[in-house]
Amino acid sequence: MIDRLAAALKRSRADYTEIRVERTWSTAVTYRGRRLESATASEDQGGFVRVLHAGRGWGVASFTSLDQLESMVARAGELSRAVSVDPPIRLADVAPQRADAALDLDGDVRGVALADKKRLIEAYNGAMLGVSDRIVDTLAIYRDEVSEYWYVNSQGAALHELRPELTLSGTAVARRDGTIEKGLESVGLRRGWKSAQDHESGFRAAAERAVALLDAPMVRGGTYPVILDPELAGVFIHEAFGHLSEADFVYENPQAREMMTLGRRFGKPVLNVGDNGAAPGLRGTLPFDDEGTPTQDTALIREGILVGRLHSRETAAAMGERPSGNARALSFRHAPIVRMTNTYIGNGKGTFDDLIRDVTLGVYACGAFGGQTMLENFSFTAAYGRMIRDGHVAELVKDVVLAGNLFQTLDRIDHIAGDFRWNQMGGGCGKAGQSPLPVTEGAPHVRIEEALVGGDVPA
Amino acid sequence: MIERLLEVARRRADGGADALWRRVERTSVAFEWGRLKAAGATEEAGANLRVRHRGRVGVAGTTAADVAPDDLVTRALASAELGEEIDLGFPASPPSGSPLPSISTFFDRAAGASLDALIAMGRSLLERLEREGCHVNVAIDRETAQVRVANTSGGAAEYASSGVAVSVDVWRIAGDDVLAVGDSAETADFPGDDVLAALVASVNTRLDRALRIVAPPEGALPVVFTPSGLSPLMLPVTQALSGKAVLQGISPLGGKVGEQAFDVGFSLADDPLRAGRPSSRPIDDECVASRRTALVERGVVRGFIYDLETAARARTQSTGNGERGIFGKPVPGYTNILVGDAVDVGARHALPQALGGGLLASITDGLLVDELIGVGQGNVIGGAFSHPVALAYRVERGEITGRVKDAAVAGNAYELWNRVGAFGNDARWAGSRWASSVLFEGVSVARR
Repeated sequence: MIDRLAAALKRSRADYTEIRVERTWSTAVTYRGRRLESATASEDQGGFVRVLHAGRGWGVASFTSLDQLESMVARAGELSRAVSVDPPIRLADVAPQRADAALDLDGDVRGVALADKKRLIEAYNGAMLGVSDRIVDTLAIYRDEVSEYWYVNSQGAALHELRPELTLSGTAVARRDGTIEKGLESVGLRRGWKSAQDHESGFRAAAERAVALLDAPMVRGGTYPVILDPELAGVFIHEAFGHLSEADFVYENPQAREMMTLGRRFGKPVLNVGDNGAAPGLRGTLPFDDEGTPTQDTALIREGILVGRLHSRETAAAMGERPSGNARALSFRHAPIVRMTNTYIGNGKGTFDDLIRDVTLGVYACGAFGGQTMLENFSFTAAYGRMIRDGHVAELVKDVVLAGNLFQTLDRIDHIAGDFRWNQMGGGCGKAGQSPLPVTEGAPHVRIEEALVGGDVPA
Repeated sequence: MIERLLEVARRRADGGADALWRRVERTSVAFEWGRLKAAGATEEAGANLRVRHRGRVGVAGTTAADVAPDDLVTRALASAELGEEIDLGFPASPPSGSPLPSISTFFDRAAGASLDALIAMGRSLLERLEREGCHVNVAIDRETAQVRVANTSGGAAEYASSGVAVSVDVWRIAGDDVLAVGDSAETADFPGDDVLAALVASVNTRLDRALRIVAPPEGALPVVFTPSGLSPLMLPVTQALSGKAVLQGISPLGGKVGEQAFDVGFSLADDPLRAGRPSSRPIDDECVASRRTALVERGVVRGFIYDLETAARARTQSTGNGERGIFGKPVPGYTNILVGDAVDVGARHALPQALGGGLLASITDGLLVDELIGVGQGNVIGGAFSHPVALAYRVERGEITGRVKDAAVAGNAYELWNRVGAFGNDARWAGSRWASSVLFEGVSVARR
């Protein structure tokens, strides 16, 4: 395949040409309630070409039939010539990589019968259903994938990779009369069949939480000291800060560049933030990004000060900085854009108890249903919460939605515990129509002095 | 291709089969921060096959052009072996002799538009949206598709479609204040000047009123949701009106057919036969002819949307809402959603009325909500929502006084649709939903 792609590259008359080809085998088994909803095996394949003529714009083409490879290279060339850009697009230098990298398949899922995968997720689904007759519905999904990946560019890069992916997810829905609550379990790893085992307890806990939430009051809206558990703290740093550190947001916008000037203080000295695409075995981990740049650990905030950002080759060249290996594409259907990988808040000191000891009335926000950023404003939804009263964890509350302004909120992080862990959740990140891109977050327990919690507001 | 697939499937699966083949070609141009940066082309084709064997249903899909029909049928049969027994029949639709519903889905002007024409449209939008201190993004996608659906009961149909999607957003960063105002228009034909003018006016009006920042109000207040701002109120209801949610027992509207569940002003329908809309189609992805489905009429629940499988399990008929990608199995999906009386549904985009659709005059102190953050997360079907504002305006003594930040809006969709204050006069398409602004009294607004 590499030879075939190299031959196609030679026929391109553009100043820069890159080709990606992917062939993906995936299986998925879905249970809804007691029913097996579907069990399928799919094969998806296709290619992507991106071409740049000097002084012109990007010409891109994607296709599912490899017979079209040569004609699509030519088509991308025509598209590039149709677009003139001033000042011209430049690409920061990256030493051309040549590698044959098969990630650890951890028990190749392609060798496991669909019936065995069905039995596994059936057991996890059963663990949720068995919790209570209040569990009226469940959704349990097993999904695996092995993607064979080829990448070449006209500067000499040639990569061949095997990339595994595994996700297990469970949703338990509890109902009593008109009240409906849910609990989530999610596991996502760049691993295989071996790592799919022994997850019953997590699925059971999700169902137990859904039942418990039936009796929980809605949190009363207002401002509180808020402690985020590591899972939610991870989602928080991804949503609230990670997206702003993506250089495609700032590189052509003078006002945004000013807002994100390196050296600006974003938080107290306890705050350290980074993005590490090279951390082993995580969902956002890959040896190279989709421009052939090696991934790395990039410091973004060090002791409260902005020190770095995430780059593609184009944004790095435009800002005179170095590519960080963050140009990622969801699949051959998409162009690479600046994305996060595994984003984290660095470890602090002390324990969870140290964070709540002096809190008279606060909220302990746990787990994540999701989050969204509108740049300086963000929202994230906790799976559940507990009130903190006089230094102790108290009653369960529901509908804990945290809303905030990035600059104010980061600056209000005043305590970070020493209990860092990576989330190993499925799901993923969405940007510019490319979703869900596999990413992971990690964090210890984090305290925000004061944050807005949406909820019931008395009239 | 699917004829060969069905031929093999007919021999090997005792309960029949159906299949969909889809080929899509797309051309796109993207202007970033005011500059044309990229042009793209996509060509994609794939097939999805479903078989029924020994009472069990299985599916398989592929984008591989060289796949042997036997291999795909083997994969679908392996999927069926694990599947549940479903009494699924494939319709011989359209019934012989009766033509498919008449709906134009393919427009030469859209399909034949050159790359230069798309670039020219983008430049004209940029010129009209440019303003001091702001950056404009424009994305234009032109798509054509061929769809063929067929089954072993003799049902077969084919149609071509075209669509153009134009989206614009204007960014303004001043200090640490980031303001983004955007809108989009999707049409089956090449969009005319009226569509583009409406898009520009919509963005400019909302941007002008957002330049001044004011403190948010707080408490239980009158709130007007714009047509696009209605999403947190619509999502729970559309999820609850899916036959699939009803079968799962998680729909708060299940078992309420014939009941007055909403305000008499609230009606909702799914209509795949709307002229000029890119979601319109003569037949669904399972060979069921398209038709309008009334879901809520004057507050009374009339029914749910179904595909073949959910209909079989609910012992009813498919409503023609089968939606099918290349890889999964079909699911019930909406086409064009019509909210309210929907008597004067336009195919075209009218110039927007004043913001708020005439509903602001009666408000002493309240909010006009255009976009919330995080819609669709959390326990959506339960109806409760709580979101910070992305774009919202304070309304005082009947007038917009400025944009509010750092506020959150909360409520329950089912409860709010039971006490609608008023519908506005500004109905328009927001994506595939036709709706006007709506005023609700006593909506929770929290501020920092």
